[in-house]
Amino acid sequence: MSAERLEAPPLVDERSRSDSLVSPLPARSDFVLDVSNFSVVYGTGEHMVRAVNDISFTLRRSAVLGVAGESGSGKSTLVYAMTRLLRAPGLISGGVVNLNTTRSGDAGEETVNLVTASEKELRKIRWSHVSIVLQSALSALNPVLRVGRDFDEVLKTHRPDMTRAQRRERAAELVSSVGLNEDRLDRFPHELSGGQRQRIMIALALALDPELVIMDEPTTALDVVTQREIMNELQDLRARFDFAMIFITHDLSLLVEIADEIVVMYAGSIVERARANELYEAPRHPYTLGLLNSFPPMHGQRRELTGIPGSPPDLADLPTGCKFHSRCPYAMTRCRDEEPPLTSLGDSERSVACWLHVGGPGVSVPVELSRDATTKDRAHANGERP
Amino acid sequence: MRMILRRLGLYALTAWVAISVNFLLPRLMPGNPIQNLIGRLQGQVTSNEIRAIRLSFGFGVNQGLVAQYFTYVSQLFHGNLGVSITLGASVSSILRASVPWTVGLIGLSTIISFAIGTFAGAMLGWTRGSRFDSFIPTATFFQAVPYFFLATVMLLIFGSDLHWFPVLGAYSQSVTPGWNWAFLSSVVRYGELPVISIVLSSIAGWMLGMRNMMITMIGEDFVLMAVAKGLPRRKVIMHAARNAVLPSIANLSLAIGLVVSGALLVELVFNYPGVGDLLLQAVLNEDYPLIQGIFLVITLTVLAANLIADFVYLALDPRTRTEAAL
Repeated sequence: MSAERLEAPPLVDERSRSDSLVSPLPARSDFVLDVSNFSVVYGTGEHMVRAVNDISFTLRRSAVLGVAGESGSGKSTLVYAMTRLLRAPGLISGGVVNLNTTRSGDAGEETVNLVTASEKELRKIRWSHVSIVLQSALSALNPVLRVGRDFDEVLKTHRPDMTRAQRRERAAELVSSVGLNEDRLDRFPHELSGGQRQRIMIALALALDPELVIMDEPTTALDVVTQREIMNELQDLRARFDFAMIFITHDLSLLVEIADEIVVMYAGSIVERARANELYEAPRHPYTLGLLNSFPPMHGQRRELTGIPGSPPDLADLPTGCKFHSRCPYAMTRCRDEEPPLTSLGDSERSVACWLHVGGPGVSVPVELSRDATTKDRAHANGERP
Repeated sequence: MRMILRRLGLYALTAWVAISVNFLLPRLMPGNPIQNLIGRLQGQVTSNEIRAIRLSFGFGVNQGLVAQYFTYVSQLFHGNLGVSITLGASVSSILRASVPWTVGLIGLSTIISFAIGTFAGAMLGWTRGSRFDSFIPTATFFQAVPYFFLATVMLLIFGSDLHWFPVLGAYSQSVTPGWNWAFLSSVVRYGELPVISIVLSSIAGWMLGMRNMMITMIGEDFVLMAVAKGLPRRKVIMHAARNAVLPSIANLSLAIGLVVSGALLVELVFNYPGVGDLLLQAVLNEDYPLIQGIFLVITLTVLAANLIADFVYLALDPRTRTEAAL
């Protein structure tokens, strides 16, 4: 990518682009989740806080979308609201979340808008089409029940034809697929180690062969060794069960290994979206760069850990203009007054919400935000997945 | 298994301490209870009665304290608690006559109150913020009114004035006690008003406790997961309630332990022939053997209730099993 192209990229408004993609839905079995102009607020009236702002993205079948951001960036709110699990005072204020519930063997195409779905429809969709893995498996498992009961209950609810023995067999098959012995099913959550618990949660999430599994920081509470093991197992499981995944974390270096595409969220909005390796190797948004500099890389050259100065903004009292400008080392006058739209860069696969990349008189993109993704690393990142 | 044995051992030890204290207390009191008693009766006691009094305290003829203690314990194991001074009958026969009434009335009321209160509390917790929340101040009101006043007013209105319920006593004077239908239905009929009054005055505690625990549990991840799993609402509520009920179970064990002793006001107002009433009479008359006997029964009931509650708790909450084994 040349410097000239960076200074004057073609301006395409992200919203109109995704709208045109939404109205005629992509062809059957092409996407699993299509989110457009999705917004979430907390509270009402004067005290209303915008937690998720006008977010649009499409998740292809079997693909992995990484969602990165600091605490309070709205990444968890986004997925809980999408799946209608958000509790009061959280409220979906607009948008469409189309879930493709077509199974590979089905005749027609069927999508459900989760935002308007009834409780009854949601109950049918939950777990059989979308399942979720939470950060703390200890609190996500009912402390007074043997973990086998969780499997039994899910199967009993969604597959009423299965006999008790069949359910048990399926549960045993699932736990062995995450490398655990069947006898773990007879244990209580507190009798298992953190890694075992999280594996149980992952096995449970796959119980009904869902098209989409949401992982909300599944490895954050684990030590790095277990974290690594679980990440590897997830890759194997994806090859085997073929599910799409939304993976939420603040650890970009972890995300780059598993995600096909990454969106970076800041203060409830997407600030950058790109293919995983491109985002990792060649960040375009100053915030992405800051996130990358906060974690040691898993592979490749060491870089100095600097972190991001300041703290995430108070959603109830957001700064004007670009919400990141007060912490941004490259902030210009324009950043204080106008909010940059999410704009496609030359190559339509990536977009960024930053005035630096829109150009203008006297604006030049700093070298650390205009690097090219090296072919070597791209090969590496892609080489892990067929 | 080892842990269960250890618990049983602990309870046996506690029971032994309670029995020993019960033996020692009259002997540690300033003055001699027997002389006090004889003094109060102003010499109008036969030598037989004095012997009965001495025996009932474990004062054998010229026995040392240790020997007295062994006599006392061995008499206990034979069910001999001495003879009541005022009533003349053996303490164990008096207790046999009154304990079932108290246990029946207060025990049943406690369990009804717990069951309804806990269920209502679970529902109120689940639908928090809805119009059903207005139940809570109503229930709290009945708990806040002194029980004596509440029971008297209920007795006057529903018993004396409206004649909806029979008043005074545990059964009608016209039936013969025994395992016959007329007697049993009369007992139920006479028990209704006391039971209602006790439930009314104690339900708020169960309700509020369960509701608050339920609200805490609803915020837990595993309840969110139950929703995410697409479980029917009933099952989601059960996930939360199963955990929320644990503190209430602990409280129930305390409440059941107090069943034998905590009935004084009820029995006074409704003129019910139970242990509370008996204890009051025994204290007023300084009937030491009877007081001792009642104390012993109360202590052992509390212990037994706690023991049962302990095991129920172990069965309901697997986490306590490992923690206790550490």
